[in-house]
Amino acid sequence: MSGTLFEKYGGFKTVSRIVMTFYDMVLDDDAVGHVFENTDMAKLVDHQTKFVASLLGGPASFSDERLEQVHAHLGISHSDFDIVAGLLGDALAEHGMEPADIRAVAQTVETKRTLVVARDAA
Amino acid sequence: MSIAAINERLLRSIGVGVAILRFSDLKFYYVNPAFEDWFGDPVTSEVITGIIEDIRDEARSALRENGSFAGEVRIKPKRRTLVIALSLTLTEVDGEEMIVAECQNITRMRELEQMIDTYSTMVERNTRELEREKERVEKLLLNLMPRSVYEEFKTFGVVTPQLYKNVSVVMLDFVGFTAFAEKTDPTVTLSELNDIFTAFDRITEQFGCERIKTIGDAYLGVSGMPEAAPDHATVVANCAIRFLRYLERRNQSHQYKWEARIGLGTGAVVGSVVGIQKYVYDVFGPAVNMAARLQVAAKPMQIVAPESMKFDLIDAFQISDLGAHDIKGLGEMPLISVSGHMPTSSPTTRF
Repeated sequence: MSGTLFEKYGGFKTVSRIVMTFYDMVLDDDAVGHVFENTDMAKLVDHQTKFVASLLGGPASFSDERLEQVHAHLGISHSDFDIVAGLLGDALAEHGMEPADIRAVAQTVETKRTLVVARDAA
Repeated sequence: MSIAAINERLLRSIGVGVAILRFSDLKFYYVNPAFEDWFGDPVTSEVITGIIEDIRDEARSALRENGSFAGEVRIKPKRRTLVIALSLTLTEVDGEEMIVAECQNITRMRELEQMIDTYSTMVERNTRELEREKERVEKLLLNLMPRSVYEEFKTFGVVTPQLYKNVSVVMLDFVGFTAFAEKTDPTVTLSELNDIFTAFDRITEQFGCERIKTIGDAYLGVSGMPEAAPDHATVVANCAIRFLRYLERRNQSHQYKWEARIGLGTGAVVGSVVGIQKYVYDVFGPAVNMAARLQVAAKPMQIVAPESMKFDLIDAFQISDLGAHDIKGLGEMPLISVSGHMPTSSPTTRF
């Protein structure tokens, strides 16, 4: 078992940059930015740091229950999810992650879809 | 280009928001583009009106007192909330009191601080978990070897075999254990052993004896190593007697009755960690062999020791000569049996 992506790409140093990029991208996106409009910045950064670190196998745990809980009342649609997942991929690419690794992360993200997207979403 | 023109251009292009306003009525005289980007046109901006409303009194008195004011405001020009550090300085222009407002966008700094907070919490939690794990490993290793040996092992990664010249050994083995294990559920056998050995561990600890290991149903303890103990012979004899007493008492109330044979030995012992991956602290030497052989020679619930221990034990224990016996590997040797202290009520029976 080789190291995690977290280690491969330089640990927290990289995660912090990815999170910052991702944070900017998500907020600037007209389709999904509004979801985060009234989110407390501190919480969003906290959430994203843990989430990105855990996606990369870093020292953070982000339970599925929590993921589900924080998204429950947001009414997120499948297309919202696709956009944000896409932005995350872009943010990873921007920080030099190899396509194969981005695909691996995307697969992990995909497993969270049912937790994030609202139950009654189209 | 004149200095004034350079200054003007500088004010336009820097990322710091600058505004100049009159102290008396807070009328704006100048705002640079960065300031306008964030707060809008000072004449029409509700944002500015709101901020002024919020900080006016506090800022006024600070400016009066110290000539400066520092604060932080939150604005939301677009979707994102910006944190702006605001610094006001009182100055005089053409005999009029003016305020120079300097604004810096510290949103990113705040975000990074937040991120570091998150991350350090994560790291601290992981560190705590590692610490706990380390303690568990240490505890496990301390079960495998004496503390002083563990310290050596931890510091140097190896343990040098040590010869201890004056050591006593106690070796205990149950009577009929194999037969019991054959006809009983293994979990019962194990729980019986676990229960008894735990009690033995308490006894050895109490008397300053070191349990080295258990081998199946055999229990091996030493005294006089790794720390020297002048009373090593009495220590192991005390343990041996407590072992038997414990079993007697236990037998009165438990379903399964246990009897044990105990051999004591004395002499030199080498102690070391054996193995690299599956290491275990072990002891070797004449004293260990002797205890093992004498234990075999003991009758159930009897403690047998070499005669050489007699003078160390005679003051504190009841000693009976067993005469010379042929012990495998050791040849003909005189043996004694050891039993508990004389009851204090009848001290004369000893003479």
